[in-house]
Amino acid sequence: MRLFIEKLGQSAVGFVEFSGGAFCLFFQTLFWIAVPPFRPKQIYEQMVRIGVDSLPIATLTSFFIGIVLAFQSAYQMQKVNAEMYIPSLVSISMTREIGPVLTALVVAGRVGASIAAELGSMKVTEQIDALETLAANPVKYLVTPRFIALFTMLPLLTIYADFVGIMGGYLVSVYKLGLTHAMYFKMSFDPLVLKDIFTGLFKSLVFACVICIISCFEGMRVEGGAEGVGKATTQAVVLSFILIIVSDAIFTMIFYFIS
Amino acid sequence: MIEAIQVTKTFNGRRVLNRLSLRISKGETLVIIGRSGCGKSVFLKHMIGLMRPDEGQIVVDGVNVAGLSIKEINRLRMRFGMLFQAAALFDSMTVGENVGFNLIEHTDLSEGAIHDRVEEALELVGLKGIQDLKPSELSGGMKKRVALARAICMRPEILLYDEPTTGLDPIMADAINDLIIEMHDKLKVTSVVVTHDMVSAYKIATRIAMMYQGQIIQVGTPDQIRHSQDPVVRQFITGSAAGPITDVNFKSLKGGSSE
Ligand SMILES: Nc1ncnc2c1ncn2[C@@H]1O[C@H](COP(=O)(O)OP(=O)(O)O)[C@@H](O)[C@H]1O
Ligand SMILES: [Mg+2]
Repeated sequence: MRLFIEKLGQSAVGFVEFSGGAFCLFFQTLFWIAVPPFRPKQIYEQMVRIGVDSLPIATLTSFFIGIVLAFQSAYQMQKVNAEMYIPSLVSISMTREIGPVLTALVVAGRVGASIAAELGSMKVTEQIDALETLAANPVKYLVTPRFIALFTMLPLLTIYADFVGIMGGYLVSVYKLGLTHAMYFKMSFDPLVLKDIFTGLFKSLVFACVICIISCFEGMRVEGGAEGVGKATTQAVVLSFILIIVSDAIFTMIFYFIS
Repeated sequence: MIEAIQVTKTFNGRRVLNRLSLRISKGETLVIIGRSGCGKSVFLKHMIGLMRPDEGQIVVDGVNVAGLSIKEINRLRMRFGMLFQAAALFDSMTVGENVGFNLIEHTDLSEGAIHDRVEEALELVGLKGIQDLKPSELSGGMKKRVALARAICMRPEILLYDEPTTGLDPIMADAINDLIIEMHDKLKVTSVVVTHDMVSAYKIATRIAMMYQGQIIQVGTPDQIRHSQDPVVRQFITGSAAGPITDVNFKSLKGGSSE
């Protein structure tokens, strides 16, 4: 029993330490973004690594999710002869929910893991210490370019994924369920209001912060060699996944109640 | 001049530095010897402000390092050069970018001027013409020499070496010793060298300090250390397995203490 309470206490302390550290890193990042020099070359490199290189997997997942969404809703809609609402269902759930969340999960798995592993190996090989001795701030030098890149590229990827998902739905609706080309696009985009797109984009901005801060934080606090790097990478991905899904639920509720 | 006053540092309940005091005067080469894991790297990191003492002070030219702001500490660090135990070269950059890191970050020199300064630093360590290689293409000895070139590129007043000869073949180790002597003679730097290589220590030191159980137990010229009567120092410099150092470990093992 005492052991259990001790364990509980330890995890509570660990949790407070972790969230405190992560928030601290977040505010430090915001501070250092405003401080010159701005290093466009490094930001560009990160944008390519984070954004452009994620295009194939984002295309693949959202296209197939679009197809699944269309079939899944057809299964219900056909019973009530309401096939014409399938396009709207696909487009609205893509832009509001599935586009942002799916893209964030894919990017967390791909990019979050690589950030945590890269910063983690820099930490254990003392490269981060070396940066400091060369009078370069590690947050400025390592975190801000990744933050800016994620913050800009994740929403762009999300818009792209929304569109690809709608195209997946198009394929099913037009070639399998007999809707016309014009009908599909009309029913997709007419009920779609800007607010749907903006709620989706707002979420993806939050997810970008989550992915970047969690992965950088996990990477920069690695201790204990290769094993530590492996642990931190797993931790970064798992934690990003959890936080993405939880914060998505919270924001969906908030948006539901304020509209 | 650098002075450590009663520096204490504890990690997870284990006291690594225990009221350690040491003076380093301008222009000397002070070699700190001690067993692996006795806290030599930790002490070096305190000197350049990478770690902060729990108690006590590190004073450089009359100012307490722990009391400095980020800006001031960065200005101080520009006067230091540090060679890390495992070189800690940035592996995402070329050799040239590594060596010129400080110049690129902190000066307005033109690309050509930086190239020349880098070439000059590389020439000092006997590695001309490798600016475009990546650190992963270098041998261990070359990495250490490149790291030394990076440390001296800003022409620092104080050089900190963390085990510069460990893991190198005897010939390469002696070449590094010669380099340290050359830096001292040519650039008039103050050097602090951490090592457990006694051959190297006798060759380069103006003074040798023996670290044991978190304290400096003896400081003296190489000759004084060579003829030391202290049993701990004797055991270390003669490199014998039997003696007071190993007795303590043996006792603490038997006693089941947390050591
Ligand atoms: N950041 C750290 N966190 C916890 N323990 C550390 C840290 N850095 C060093 N130590 C511990 O301090 C002790 C001394 O380490 P170090 O200074 O690297 O030894 P060495 O004399 O071989 O350079 C070791 O037992 C190590 O485990
Ligand atoms: Mg060491």
